[in-house]
Amino acid sequence: MTVSRRDLLIGSAALGLAAALPGNLRAAPFDGAAWRRYAERFLLPEGRIVDTGNKGISHSEGQGYGMLLAVAAGDRAAFDRLWGWTQRMLMVRGDGLAAWRWTPDGGVTDRNNASDGDMLIAWALLRAAEVWQTEAYRTAAAGIVKALASGLLVEQAGLTVLLPGRDGFRKGETLVLNPSYWIFPAIRAFAALPGGERWGKLSDAGLVLLSKARFGGFQLPPDWMTLDAAGTVGIADGFKKQYGYDAVRVPLYLAWDGYRDPYYFRPFADLVAKFGGTAVPATVSLPGGTTTQVAASVGMLAVYRLACRLAGAGDAVTVPPLAPDEDYYSTTLAHLSALAAQSLGIDP
Amino acid sequence: MTRPVLLSALLLAGIAATGAGNGAWAQSSGGARALAPGVKVEVAPAPGSGSAPAAGKVDETALRYYARIGDGERLEAEIARLRALDPGWEPPKDLFAPQPTTPGVDETPFWNLLSAGKVAEARAAIAEQRRKSPSWQPSDKLLQELDTAESAGRIRSASDTRRWQEVVDAAAAHPEAVACNRLDNAWRLAEAYAELKQADRAFDTYRTIVSTCPKAKERRDTIFKASRYLSPDQLRELTALGATANPAKGEDYSTVRTAEAELETGRLLERLGAASSGAKPGALSAADLSRIQGIVRDKQDADGAIALGWYFQKQKNFAEAQSWFSQANGWAPSDKSAEGLVLAYNGLGEKAQARAAAAPWKGKSSRIDQALKAVDPPRGAGGGRSGPQGPSELDRALARQDFAECLSIIRSSIAKSGPTAALLQQRGWCLLEMKRPSEAEAAFAEAQAMAAREPAKGGQSAGAGGRTPAAAGLPQKATAAQENAYGQAVARLATGDTVGLTRDLPRANMTPAQKAEIRASLMATEANRALEDKRYNDVLRLLDARKELTPEPRNLGILRGWALYNLMRFDEAYAQFKSVDDRLSTEESREGVTITWKTIYHDW
Repeated sequence: MTVSRRDLLIGSAALGLAAALPGNLRAAPFDGAAWRRYAERFLLPEGRIVDTGNKGISHSEGQGYGMLLAVAAGDRAAFDRLWGWTQRMLMVRGDGLAAWRWTPDGGVTDRNNASDGDMLIAWALLRAAEVWQTEAYRTAAAGIVKALASGLLVEQAGLTVLLPGRDGFRKGETLVLNPSYWIFPAIRAFAALPGGERWGKLSDAGLVLLSKARFGGFQLPPDWMTLDAAGTVGIADGFKKQYGYDAVRVPLYLAWDGYRDPYYFRPFADLVAKFGGTAVPATVSLPGGTTTQVAASVGMLAVYRLACRLAGAGDAVTVPPLAPDEDYYSTTLAHLSALAAQSLGIDP
Repeated sequence: MTRPVLLSALLLAGIAATGAGNGAWAQSSGGARALAPGVKVEVAPAPGSGSAPAAGKVDETALRYYARIGDGERLEAEIARLRALDPGWEPPKDLFAPQPTTPGVDETPFWNLLSAGKVAEARAAIAEQRRKSPSWQPSDKLLQELDTAESAGRIRSASDTRRWQEVVDAAAAHPEAVACNRLDNAWRLAEAYAELKQADRAFDTYRTIVSTCPKAKERRDTIFKASRYLSPDQLRELTALGATANPAKGEDYSTVRTAEAELETGRLLERLGAASSGAKPGALSAADLSRIQGIVRDKQDADGAIALGWYFQKQKNFAEAQSWFSQANGWAPSDKSAEGLVLAYNGLGEKAQARAAAAPWKGKSSRIDQALKAVDPPRGAGGGRSGPQGPSELDRALARQDFAECLSIIRSSIAKSGPTAALLQQRGWCLLEMKRPSEAEAAFAEAQAMAAREPAKGGQSAGAGGRTPAAAGLPQKATAAQENAYGQAVARLATGDTVGLTRDLPRANMTPAQKAEIRASLMATEANRALEDKRYNDVLRLLDARKELTPEPRNLGILRGWALYNLMRFDEAYAQFKSVDDRLSTEESREGVTITWKTIYHDW
């Protein structure tokens, strides 16, 4: 690929240019080569994924994503290194869940868990158990799923919802939730485990909440939301009141689980349409709609490409190739989008 | 969006796309094609058409999808594409007929959720169904109804949070959400235009409502709603239109015509109030005044009569004032009307009558006790210089309810001869009247401290509390210390310190009457809070308990109505709002009546 990312992002000329270029400028598929590049850049020999956009820390989310990608690439050695490090360094709480964050200087400084990280790790273990026919992975996954179910699944307003962490997400009668922690395909895998009925309810509740939690002109979900005892949703205080780096994963996970109702993808397609031809903003304040100057990363664009197709908006997004210094999160999103698209039987 | 392009170009694009010979052509990267500079045609896949069609059979999913959404351009392109795939293929004849639903998918559960108001749940159930049967499409009707219900909700929440442009945008996207059967939303749209300073559009919206919505009641309510934003001329036009345009059979539009007159009355009462408290008593014409008097008499409206009383009191027409306050007190006895009566009699020099008017409330109402000071000035007030025969400068200011003047008199009096507990206490009351509760609380505390240092005065020694034999059976008269404690409590109420006040009240040095009054106010505050917290049964419990202590004023009557409404006791809520509205119709009471009525009769 001879075109640099900057060339494609400079403005309205970009799309015309893309169409005129020889060759396909589609998002890259996730394959063995993509995994090797990913591992070279983000996987350290000891088995931790480095968040290059966040001062080189590691977290349960990154471990989970790394494990998922390793299984998808069939790299069992890498998978075992990742899982080993996760067990040794993060699973120090004693309740079967992982501490969410590890820093090179201080190790685990905050013992709270992040439910999405735990879910990703458990889901990757389940996939690994299937691919490599290894019962030990399944047993480990079941342990994490059980710990999540007993500590993080709660009932509120007739819905089964997932607390983002063990501590600090109840404000009186109101819960603070994160829509992007509904990793639908993982939840479906958990629901299929013995005694997994409550996970099925979590899926149902996720769709209900995503229909309710639509804010502002684009009707986008917030990164962090509230759910009160009466079932009313809001935008959470104490976080940036915005749609952004967290919630961009909502359409990714929905698509990955086979949801195709355009209704659930239209808000993201509308956002893209509004900025069609120019850079899509990385965040949108809610409910006001103020957008940031920062453009959506390559990985976010890959998610948007997928969302636009499912919204019936066509190939409205051109995804530039990953830059040599693309950060951990963007690169991960790009690969996950490719995996989701592949699972739907469509080209990324 | 896409500009019109030549059909031939589209056909070419379609054929070119199929030239790739790939079943999944729609998902290929070439979906967005630049046919000419600036002209882009997007060839989108239909939802559910992700997998390649079975060989030998033309997949018409996308075709039907474009027909269903009425996208002619894409439809033509799709026809061309399918013809290219299979030259013998003919487009189906029932392309524009209502969509047959996929066999096996029954829409009833989705409709049931929708009609139960569970729109999000309906969406979730549909998405789940579509995941399970990707070729199934919900019916257009179902999708439309869902869109409309969501838009209606969006308009409501955007307008509740004053995001006016979003109200306008949402209504533009789904005009059905602001149709006559969702009148409340149509009003919200008009209000949004008005708030966005698009007066013409606001007026147009109101005009559309009163000339197209058939029910007289809807038109009438719209005129009341519009009165907040439109000029009298526009309102007249609106009324004329509403009373005549597109009449429906069996509807009586005379109530639409009277709406304007009722609004006029409301405006007159407002001006009357302004004339009474403000600087220009002459702002009302004789004709206006006589109209108001007629209306107030007809409706036996005690609040209106009190307003008239103050208007005349302000003009020093004490005889006329006395007659209106008497009238008000006769229709609905209250300390408010008695207060006016006391001061009007006092103005006429009929002190005995004034005291008689005060008697039922004496010691029970701070208003009355205050008014009585104008009749029998306490010794020592006003620096002790006033003669026994006439009210002091301070008393006159108080009788005029001129509280700024009260403060300035007290300030100069303190400057001249130093502070006294009585003066400081009076300062507290005047600050409270001027809605400066924190300063008032400080003034009462200061008065308290000063009283503790002062020697006991007159017959009113601190702590001696009315020990004359005649006092037996009569309300206990408050000592200066009790007055101060009471003042502090009132000030704390005004600053919102209900928790502290509730805690301290049992031990506070106040008369039982004072304590009862504070307790009643606390209950009113708690009732308001309970309503905000949606604890509706608590609201009723608090209001009932309060009613035992003292009659329920109008604002709490409205509160009671909303609590009943939210408990879905709609008939009781309606009766409650109606009784408040019958006494005096205001925007608040009308809103209660209207919304409850609509709820009972499902008439949104």
